[in-house]
Amino acid sequence: MTRRKPVNLAKAARTTTFYILVVGVAAAMLLPVYFIVSLSFLSVREAYSYPLPLVPALETHFKLTPGKRGYLVSVYDRIEGAYESVLDTKELQKMSEYMRYQLATPVTIEDLEQQVARLETEDEVYFTRRRNLLANYQTFFGVAGYNAVPALIRSLQICALTIVISLSIGGMAGYAFARYVFKGKDLLKFSVLFVRMYPGVAIALPMIKILANMNFYDRPIGLSLVYSIGNIALTVWITASIFMGIPESLEEAAQVFGASKARAFLRITLPLALPGLAAAAMYAFLGAWNETVAAIILTTFNPTFSVVVFQTVLGSVGQVNLAAAGGMAMALPAVIFTFFIRRYIHQMWGGVTV
Amino acid sequence: MATLTLTHITKRFGRDVVAVKDFSLEVPDREFLVLLGPSGCGKTTTLRMIAGLEEATEGTIEIDGVDVTDLPPRKRDVSMVFQNYAVWPHMTVYDNIAYALKLKRMDKQTISTMVKEAATLTKIDQLLDRFPAQLSGGQQQRVAVARAIAVRPKLFLMDEPLSNLDAKLRAATRTELKAIHAKTEATSVFVTHDQAEAMSLADRIVIMKDGGIIQIGSPDDVYHRSANLFVADFIGTPPTNFMNVELEVENGQCQLAGPHFTCVLSAENAAKIEDHDQRQLVLGVRPESILIVSEDDAVLSAECLVSEPQGSHQIVAIELGDKIVKIIAPAHPVIAPGETVHLTFDQEALAFFDKETGLRI
Repeated sequence: MTRRKPVNLAKAARTTTFYILVVGVAAAMLLPVYFIVSLSFLSVREAYSYPLPLVPALETHFKLTPGKRGYLVSVYDRIEGAYESVLDTKELQKMSEYMRYQLATPVTIEDLEQQVARLETEDEVYFTRRRNLLANYQTFFGVAGYNAVPALIRSLQICALTIVISLSIGGMAGYAFARYVFKGKDLLKFSVLFVRMYPGVAIALPMIKILANMNFYDRPIGLSLVYSIGNIALTVWITASIFMGIPESLEEAAQVFGASKARAFLRITLPLALPGLAAAAMYAFLGAWNETVAAIILTTFNPTFSVVVFQTVLGSVGQVNLAAAGGMAMALPAVIFTFFIRRYIHQMWGGVTV
Repeated sequence: MATLTLTHITKRFGRDVVAVKDFSLEVPDREFLVLLGPSGCGKTTTLRMIAGLEEATEGTIEIDGVDVTDLPPRKRDVSMVFQNYAVWPHMTVYDNIAYALKLKRMDKQTISTMVKEAATLTKIDQLLDRFPAQLSGGQQQRVAVARAIAVRPKLFLMDEPLSNLDAKLRAATRTELKAIHAKTEATSVFVTHDQAEAMSLADRIVIMKDGGIIQIGSPDDVYHRSANLFVADFIGTPPTNFMNVELEVENGQCQLAGPHFTCVLSAENAAKIEDHDQRQLVLGVRPESILIVSEDDAVLSAECLVSEPQGSHQIVAIELGDKIVKIIAPAHPVIAPGETVHLTFDQEALAFFDKETGLRI
């Protein structure tokens, strides 16, 4: 007979506490994300009900009865477990609009006519229609005057420009800091960080003046120049340390074996520096994508996406679900970009990081 | 296959630092030349100037009679093995070796043949698909060598390629390098600070110090006919023993008088130094040229300080004044510390140096 190993109570307690902690921390991080995702799919009625539903309903159950002013529309409430009357009207147009905008359930007027016709023979009419889950997103991008789509494209342009400018200038400076010895090198390397010390708002006026003089005000190139200033500093530090980690002899070897200086850099050093460049690109992207204050100041008719989201949050009072959809639309490109670039940050050669 | 000619090469860094000064040298075809010297003597700088990685401040470098002083490295038709190997971590072993051949626009079939040939010669033909990070230090070193020989260069340059290997592997690789050189017959310049490595590999050794050439010669030359005190001290383990002596001539007989001994010189040795104008000399004796003899034949006697058994022989250290003199003695009989040993010098192997200049007489 085999004897069972005695349970080590202290160890079990430690392990259990550890996992409870881990789950707690994970929940604290994931719950807000979960709520904003779920909120962005809710209808207005759901978003303002209490308690808030954990998941959006996939379909809406309607009940039609004769009402005082016309037809009384009731909606099944999952939480109460009963039908609640929401609207009493004779106009089918108004009824259809209410269903579309408040309940995020598109029901055509012809459809409603048929249902109303059934009331002549029945006391109560029940019918179920599918929810439009993306209603908030459609509203957000379709809201007149905001032009969310052009703003999104503009923001992507700004991000691309910022990456190109800060990586080319910052990367070259980083290479110089890593490879060459010159007077005042350390001071210069520190001084590139000085530009990051100024709060953008404090120097907003001169920025507007200068950009306007350059004819860059309210244009993507202007904002990307402003964003590049801070990002160049970061890129210099990131790439300098990466280039320092790549032995110069790798480049020299390429030169001895038939490559020109430029080719040796492009074929040997650059691929090896890719993780650092990818990290720098990620910083540049996220910085440019999320920045709002300078974008508010430096744009008027051509806002960036972050400004549009900001205006939605402020402007659509009583529309948290719209704000959630905007927030999600704002977060998604950054998440996608980060996941895409992650591959390069974890670049491995033969299973071992360089 | 090529000859290399360096004429009055000087390299200055900034205004004050002179790394190599007035370095002239001719390397004939197929020679294995070793640049040997302590760190900071300019040997690596010289090699890098030959490769084109460093610009010569003055002087000219010719390969096969063609002036390459101002040519970039890629136009010099040389190849190099670096101290840290410098194999490209993002390429497989095959690509590392093939890279130079691809740049020469050779066709795939030829490249494949040449890569395999080089890999077989260096015994890494099983590793061609691996990345450098998956290889040991010794294997990476072989990749660096294979890469260098695959291009069939005019000149084969090596910058301390063995210094990062452990002692046992270093000795084994040394032998293989020599065998590879015998097969490829490429003119080679090898830089090292390890005198044993230099002795075992070189056709000729160039001993450098402070950016200049001290002595050029075969391993035999630099060992037995060291040009000065520095070379005699630098070459050989344990190094040459030096003793201050005075030359005395009595009744037509020459003898050396030191604080601890007096030694009558043989006729040949006497003839060598009789005409020297200084009487104060430095006597250099190799450890194996001090012989243990019976008391009657002894020039000097001393107490053994320590003895280090080496298996095939033992190294006996004695104290003469404040100096320690080392003697290579046969393994038997074992000499115990405190035991008195009686010694004499092998007259044929004595070297005399001027006390002022340090030059050999």
